[in-house]
Amino acid sequence: MAGTQARTALVGSIQRFSTEDGPGIRTTVFLKGCPLRCQWCHNPELIAFSQELIQNPSRCVACGACVQACPQECLSFHQEALTIQRSACTLCLSCTRVCYAKALRPVAEAMTPEEVIQVVARDKTFYGQEGGMTISGGELLSHGDFVLALLEESRQREIAVCLDTSGFGEQALLLRLAQDPIVSHILFDIKHLDEDRHREYTGVSNRPILDNLAALAAIPSVRDKVLLRMPLIRGVNDGLEDAEAAKALYQTLGLSRVTLIAYHTLGLAKSRNIGQEPVSFAPPEQARALAFQQCLESAGMTVETLGDFAPSL
Amino acid sequence: MMTERVQRLKDRFLEAKPTITAERILLATEGYKKYAGDAIPIFRAEVFAYVMERIQVHIREDELIVGAMSSATRAALVFPEYQATDWLISEMDQFATRPRDKMYVSDQDKEQIIACLKDYWRGKSLFDEVGSLLPEDAAYALEHELISVGTRRAPSTETVPNYRKLLAVGLEGIIQECQEKLATVRGENKELQEKVNFWKAGIIACRAVIRLAERYAQRADELADQEQDPKRQAELRTIAENCRTVPARSPQNFYQALQAIWFIHLAFHIETPAHACSFGRFDQITYPYLQKEEREGCLDRQAAQEVLECFFLKCNELIKIRDRWTATAFAGFPMWAILMVGGQDIYGADATNEVSYMCLTAGEDVQTAQPVLAMRVHKGTPDPLMRQACKMIQAGLATPGFFNDDVAIPIVLSKGGSREEALDWNIVGCTQPHPGGGGSDGTPDGGYVNLGKVLELVLHNGVDPATGKQVGLATGDPASFRQKEDIMAACKKQIEYFYQMIIKNFNIVQSAHMVRLPLIFASVVMDGCVENGKSVQEGGTKHNSVGLFATGPANVADSIVAIEDLVFKEKAMTLPELIAILDKNFQGEEPLRQRLLNNSAKVGNDDPYVDGIEREILGYCVDATQPYRDARGGRFDFTLMSQTMNVVQGAVVGALPDGRLAGEPVNDNASPMMGRDVNGPTATIRSIASLDQTRFWDGALFNLRFDPRGIEGEKGLKTIETVIKTYFQEGGQHIQINVVNDETLRDAQRHPERHRGLLVRVAGYMAYFTELDQVVQEAIINRTPHLDPTRGCGCGCGA
Repeated sequence: MAGTQARTALVGSIQRFSTEDGPGIRTTVFLKGCPLRCQWCHNPELIAFSQELIQNPSRCVACGACVQACPQECLSFHQEALTIQRSACTLCLSCTRVCYAKALRPVAEAMTPEEVIQVVARDKTFYGQEGGMTISGGELLSHGDFVLALLEESRQREIAVCLDTSGFGEQALLLRLAQDPIVSHILFDIKHLDEDRHREYTGVSNRPILDNLAALAAIPSVRDKVLLRMPLIRGVNDGLEDAEAAKALYQTLGLSRVTLIAYHTLGLAKSRNIGQEPVSFAPPEQARALAFQQCLESAGMTVETLGDFAPSL
Repeated sequence: MMTERVQRLKDRFLEAKPTITAERILLATEGYKKYAGDAIPIFRAEVFAYVMERIQVHIREDELIVGAMSSATRAALVFPEYQATDWLISEMDQFATRPRDKMYVSDQDKEQIIACLKDYWRGKSLFDEVGSLLPEDAAYALEHELISVGTRRAPSTETVPNYRKLLAVGLEGIIQECQEKLATVRGENKELQEKVNFWKAGIIACRAVIRLAERYAQRADELADQEQDPKRQAELRTIAENCRTVPARSPQNFYQALQAIWFIHLAFHIETPAHACSFGRFDQITYPYLQKEEREGCLDRQAAQEVLECFFLKCNELIKIRDRWTATAFAGFPMWAILMVGGQDIYGADATNEVSYMCLTAGEDVQTAQPVLAMRVHKGTPDPLMRQACKMIQAGLATPGFFNDDVAIPIVLSKGGSREEALDWNIVGCTQPHPGGGGSDGTPDGGYVNLGKVLELVLHNGVDPATGKQVGLATGDPASFRQKEDIMAACKKQIEYFYQMIIKNFNIVQSAHMVRLPLIFASVVMDGCVENGKSVQEGGTKHNSVGLFATGPANVADSIVAIEDLVFKEKAMTLPELIAILDKNFQGEEPLRQRLLNNSAKVGNDDPYVDGIEREILGYCVDATQPYRDARGGRFDFTLMSQTMNVVQGAVVGALPDGRLAGEPVNDNASPMMGRDVNGPTATIRSIASLDQTRFWDGALFNLRFDPRGIEGEKGLKTIETVIKTYFQEGGQHIQINVVNDETLRDAQRHPERHRGLLVRVAGYMAYFTELDQVVQEAIINRTPHLDPTRGCGCGCGA
């Protein structure tokens, strides 16, 4: 069983022409499974390490084929809307095989590194000097063997790799990946610098994350690969005190490239579609995001923003 | 930055309603009566001269480039010799209210036009004439949109004159050439006599154009005499001097060069209901005159830019009357006045010059539908030019369109162009690469085969399910089909059959043009026509070809794969069972439709299997067209393009096995079926580039749409550039990119008044979105927008 796990990983999707997951034109590989429980997660279907059933009500044509196909009888229609009794679902996925409208799908597919790289390599001509593959998730550090194998494949095909990580994982693995010459960039997420708040919103301590970041920053060749990413959530981590704390930390570590990402609500529907009750947040107002940005810039950092901040009142 | 003058001219243009005027039909009818009896070419030239001598001259406030078709700013003339009397009379009351390309006509003009048509023109037009010549099967195929046959309503004026030469020698130079010919040839046989007549006609036509310019010179002087403002007075004196110099003789400066080109362009549109008269490599043609001013130390760059922008605005004044059908197939008043910039010189070095940049800036400033900016891209294209062009795309201007030298040059060599002509290639029509230099008539529109209908006929053994009539070949009972190859073989036969039908009928139309309506002025400005003593219509130019088109190839490929999966592999049902469901338009069979839509590969997703099937289908089209010759011995070249024929021809196609419902548009031009390319633009690009485009000698039109939020900033700019360059590297010939989001387009539908200036690339041309009717608007909105954050995260997860 262990051998199988090393050879394949559950891949949520492989997104081609991804332009927000690192520099240039990229293909992003989303791995399923993450030890964090960030309440604002925009890929909630990629948190669990096991397969899940996801529904997409807007695609449903209410044909009823899934109800017939389910051996556990856990599917039913109420006023044309499909209800899934998830506690009874054994994830046999029989329903997904008859759902031609793709309103019911398995979240992920088990793939080998070779299978993944074949898709990624199709866009090689678009990558140029800057682009390449981004490995995201889920949390890639939870899929060490698979990621190491994927890096080997990338090396053979000369496709540069960008790691997109929460930083939560085994340090030796992270350092090994980070120092690999095929890795050109590391997107390193910082969610909150306050330990208690971090635990409250993500379910884990931020100490291993900060230790890992320090370890990366201590190696000059690796430090240059690090691009910090900060999801900004209104009232959670968008205050000036948060900006000041970040500035102090990054200055100490000699890190200077930061992207501020506005919280967005695309994760909410996905959360509902895997049968969970999502928690809703809001992006910071523009003025607040700008103040955050200027705080970091005052220390000479290069700060970009992604997404839509809320209009200021 | 536009000057205040250009802004005023543009505002006036945007307010102007497309207007039909009676002036030309009244004058031409007098001319036709007066000169009846002359040999055809001379008769044609005399009628043209009669109109040119009398058509009113209008110099509008603020204008720097002069020459107009009418007092109305956007005007269309009536050409009864082409346009069938019947539809003109019957549609005359509907122009103002029809869904597409509305036009206005005053009561007085309407009355005069109808009276003239009834009194003199009934049954005399080209359309009427060829209508009586076309066999019954073609009449059915045309009526039911199985095919179209081009140039029945208008001539082929889809040419690029030899502007370099015209500017160098002036029309007086052309007159002299004709005179020299006449001095040596007397006409001792029919052929020579026809040549003599042609040269005589050429002299009459050139003099008529010079005469019009002289009348403009007089008018400018009259206005100058009355003008109080000394600045405008000086401008009018300059205009008068310009019009006395060009197009008769070589221009003395850049301003005069533009005025000369304008008069020649205008003259085409007064001679015939022309379209797709292009400017060719405008930057190469006009730069020497700018350079001369610079050398002489009298170049005022701001003034030159302003004149260029006045020229651009002028190009939008010319429109033509199209019947209801044509206005649907080619929606948005397209004129395809292509203006090319960039590319290589005849030694292979980059040819970009200052005018290349000025043209992009002019396009950026005036933002008008015409001229259609086309940029040649090659390895040596300077970064600043590429960057300026990409910035225009990023800003949502949808122009320029980009063309790949690496594909076009080999195509032109294959077409028989010399090395120089290949390196100097330009676009004739829309996306058709032609030998440069002004000696190529491409007659882009030979006709379109409705490939969606072809597949329907294959699935009904040649019977049109809409009428129950046997209209295609009997290619076999579909119940006997055992594998996809059986369907492909049947498609191949039907494709050959319908292209043969087009070719035969197109040649009838083309012959009618030759004997009845040769063009004189539009011919003598081309290389080869004076030399050969023949019009373009008769094959006077060095290179002759005709474009043939296909509508809906992606749907055919998608359908064949869907049948293969469902019927031949999964054996979920028999083919006749599936066909019965298609005949009911999937009524009560939505799950099956979803299965066909979502569970088989679709073109546009970088799936080599289904893309390969489209490539094979298109190969049948090439093989069914290229070996054949038109009525003057020219070649037929295949074009992967539908214009908005995908709406017109799609409307008659029943439900298809790919899940497309009856009557919906089929795929747009070379692009995948709308909404089915779900793997992002890189996958779409790879699919389309894999179609072996060097076989499409008349090009492949590829539309890509981005959401503006996805390509913001410096990174967005690089993304656009990478997309274009990689598409070309992978073998793409042409790409045009619309950057506009759904909300903007929806808002423009709701509040057209707020978005009058919103331009979209429809096909190889731009149109004002609010002037398109709803079906065409929907077809544009349904083009998959890439990188639209509101359409979910793109990974198919359902968000």
